[in-house]
Parts: sequence; C-alpha cells; structure tokens
Amino acid sequence: ARMKRARVRKQPCTLKEVEVSVSELGLGYVSDETVLFRYCSGTCDAAVRNYDLSLQSIRGKKKIKKEKVRARPCCRPTEYDDDVSFLDSKNHYHTIKEVSAKDCGCI
Amino acid sequence: MLTPLVHYSLFLLAQTSLSSSQSPPVSWPSHTDCIHANELCSADHSCSSRYRTLRQCLAGRDRDALLSSMECKSAMEVLQESPLYMCRCRRGMKKELQCLQVYWGIHAGLTEGDEFYEASPYEPVTSRLSNIFRLASINSGSEPVSSKYNACLDAAKFCNVNDACKRLRSSYISTCTLTGDSDMCARRKCQKALRTFIERTPADLSYPLLFCPCRDQPCAERRRQTAVPDCSFKRPEMPNCIEIWEGCRQDPVCRSRLSDFVNSCLSSPQSASGCVWDNYAACLGAYAGLIGFDVALNFLDSDPHSLSVGPWCSCNGSGDMESRCERFLKEFTENHCLRNAMLAYGNGTDIANTQSATKGPQTTILPRVEGGNVLPDNQSDSNIFTEGEPGICTSFQAVKNSSAPELKICVSESQLNTPNLRKYEDDNDISGTSQMQPLVLHITLILLCCVQFF
Repeated sequence: ARMKRARVRKQPCTLKEVEVSVSELGLGYVSDETVLFRYCSGTCDAAVRNYDLSLQSIRGKKKIKKEKVRARPCCRPTEYDDDVSFLDSKNHYHTIKEVSAKDCGCI
Repeated sequence: MLTPLVHYSLFLLAQTSLSSSQSPPVSWPSHTDCIHANELCSADHSCSSRYRTLRQCLAGRDRDALLSSMECKSAMEVLQESPLYMCRCRRGMKKELQCLQVYWGIHAGLTEGDEFYEASPYEPVTSRLSNIFRLASINSGSEPVSSKYNACLDAAKFCNVNDACKRLRSSYISTCTLTGDSDMCARRKCQKALRTFIERTPADLSYPLLFCPCRDQPCAERRRQTAVPDCSFKRPEMPNCIEIWEGCRQDPVCRSRLSDFVNSCLSSPQSASGCVWDNYAACLGAYAGLIGFDVALNFLDSDPHSLSVGPWCSCNGSGDMESRCERFLKEFTENHCLRNAMLAYGNGTDIANTQSATKGPQTTILPRVEGGNVLPDNQSDSNIFTEGEPGICTSFQAVKNSSAPELKICVSESQLNTPNLRKYEDDNDISGTSQMQPLVLHITLILLCCVQFF
C-alpha cells in the first residue's frame, strides 16, 4: 500500500494537457480563444545515470564550486507541438511556435 | 442562343430513354466516378474511338459546325449510353482534377446558352444537415447561453483542441498572414492552404467556424475573418464578376465548384426552404467548396443579423453584359436558399420540419427532391433519366410513382423547378419565340415517356 501511494505521488515523466485561453499563456497576446496546452510533468528517478551520481558526489566533495550544475535528469519536452494560430481581441491573426509540448523525456 | 444541338440532344435523349426502357437494365452503377468510367471506356473499342472523336469535335475551333456533323453526332449518340456520360466526381476525392477533366472533356460545350447554370459534375450530397450539427448540441448542453456567448469563439476552441483541425487551421492562417517584402500576402498559397483545410477537416469542425450563428458584432467579425479575407478574398482592385467567372471556368475544379454552388443553392420562391432541391447540407457544402477560389463568397460586414455574403467583384465595366451580370450576382448576394441554410444551421433545425408543412399537390415530387439520389436500386433503368435530364426524371418519376398519373403536374413541376428550364426562362429576354421550341419538345418528350409506361 505504501509503494502504491508513493507511485501515485511520484508519477514518472509524462505528457499532460490543460485547456487555457491564449491570454493565460502570458506571452502578451490578448485573445479569448482557447488552446490546448500540453506540458511535461513527473519525476525522472528511473532515468538517473552514473553521470548524475558521480556529479553529486564530486560536487559534495567541493571539487566543483561556483558553477551551476544539474545532477539529476529533468522532465522536459523532447519535441514541440505544431504551431498554434488564433485571432486576437483586435481581430488580428497570430501564429506562435513551440508553445506546447508534443513528447516528453528525462534528459 | 439555343443551337440546334440542344434540340438534337433532347431528341437523342428521348430516343435513348425510349430504347433503354425496353433493353435490360444497364450494368454499371448510377454514379461511376469519371476516372473509373474512363478506364471502362478505354477498354471498349467502340467507346474509346467515339470518345476520341467527340473530344476532337468539342476541341475544334469550329466547334458548332463540327458538332452538327454526322460523325460528331453519332459519337455523341454512342457515348450518351456509355458510363462516361453518367459519371460524376466527389469533392476532395483523390485525383479530383483528373476526374473533372474527364467529365468536362465530354460535357463542356454541350450546355449551350447560359453556361452559368450548367450541371454540376459532383455526386449529389446525401447527408442531412442534422448529421453535421455540432453547435446545436453545444447550445443545448451545459454551456449557459448567456449574452456573452460567442458561437464562433466556441467553434475555434473545438478546432484548436483537435490536433488535425488545429494543424490545418494554423497552416492556412500562417500562410495567409505571411507578408513578404512587398507587404502583399501570398494569395495563391493562402487559397491553396484554405482549400486543404476545407477538404480535410470534417464538416462538424469546419462548418461551425464558417456558419457560426452570432448575436453580437465581435462574434460576427470573427466569423467574417474565418477565411482570412484580407488575403484570400479581398484584392486591391474590385474585379468585374463576369471576368472572374470566366476565369474560373478555365479551371476544371473551380468551374465544377461554381456549377455545384449555382445548382445546390438555387433559390425557389415556391419551396418552403427557399431551395430548389430542399437540401440545406448540399447548399452549405457547395458554399464551402468555393472557399479558396477567386469566386468564393464571404461575409461582407460584421453585422450579426444581416448575413450578407457575396463575392469580391462588381458588375462595373460589364458593358452590354451588365444586366446579365447583375442577375447572376444576385444568385450570390440575394440567395434565399443559402441564407435559410445558414439560419437553419445556426438554429439547429433542418428541412424535415418545414417539409411537413408543405403538404399539398406538390408533394408528388417530394421523394425526388428530398434525397435526389435515394432511388431504390431496382430502378436502375430510370436512373438514366435522373442523371441526364433532371427535369424529365422529376416529372417522369412522379408519373411512375403515383397511382393516378396527372400529366399536367408532371409538366408544370418541371417548368417551375428544374435548372434546365430555368435556363430557358433566363434566355427569354434575349430572344423570344424560338425559346418555345425546346419547351414544346420537352413536353412532348415527357408525354412520350408517359405513353411508354402506361
């Protein structure tokens, strides 16, 4: 039971979607048009490699300092969705690229 | 305007009709597509040689003279009984252009006089409007119909959340809004992308974008903008309508879409629906089929209630063709059939309701009008009439189906309702008395058919 609960909370990296208005994207466009926003969500525990473990260890020993390093894989889009076009509140069309994920991966 | 050819072809048809009612039923289906029909004809020696002959007759510079020659006449006589003459195409089909080239190869020039009302090469639309309702279900669903409700915004949402619709919509919008160095959009590319959108998007997603019912200006403006009219529709100058129609006829696909619109949206004051064929779905489909061509219609303003649509052209500079131009232009701008179809689509109503209200002597022909193509399979012999000459079959079928044949109805109905005879009516103001001849022939023809069956 404990295992199951843990798995629910820590879902592996997958593609999820939510319907939002174009205005809610926060890109400066004003439009009530609804678009489907797909994003990547979940953990990447299974994707930890020797690279990550070594990097953590070496950083712990203060061998790497004053540098931004990431010692664990990250759930990110590996591919972006097709362009999205919409009509804004001033009746102008716009097309935006790479606004929504198409595929996710731990990288 | 009517050449002896028309008389002759009517006569030919009479002969064909009479002879075929005695011969066994034809073996090919009523709607062979023209690509297949062309293959069937090529495999048959007599058909393929006559086909070549007729094409030469039609392509020649002295077409009229050639057509009256014995050789051309006999080629036509044979071909009118071949699958080629009956063949049709489907909008957006694979190899549509090729199919239409075959169709016009044999039909072009056979409609003399007003080419504006030439027959459509497309198979009749069978689906009812109710099959493509989406808005209706949205309206009656959980969504509260508030004063802020915008059906066109909803239509955009339904397209955006569908991957294929979103991709095709985005594709035409980005193409149509792309401006190069000269600040001009790529009009042809834009039109092509629009046609792709219309052809590949199911009607339940595209029609809500095109025909969304509106109660306020923002909604109506959104509807007007659907096809990106600044690029696909408007042009710096206002062309003459006759010129753009003539230009359209040079392209087999455009020509077909235009004839499909003129036939499917033909207005009739006699019909409760306002449409000759009482088929709203066919009219809306034909309107959509024009999008992406120079002859396309669009909403002309963002008044939510006016529903004023029209092409981007005027009759200025038509010269002696001006009255003719104005008359045809009204088929687009003052089309009651189209207007009613759009209203019905917005209301979620179909003709089924209005039809029950029009019970009367006219109902004799309603089965034909209702479906156009829902003939039982066992009537394949009468399909010949249906395809070749709608006016004849309408009345012919009426006579055949009713227990007590009334020849009067049979003739007058065809006069009122068929596109073919409408053509004559329109020609009447050009030349007078000679127009009676085809009409008389037509009636004689119907009488002949009737005699044959009773």
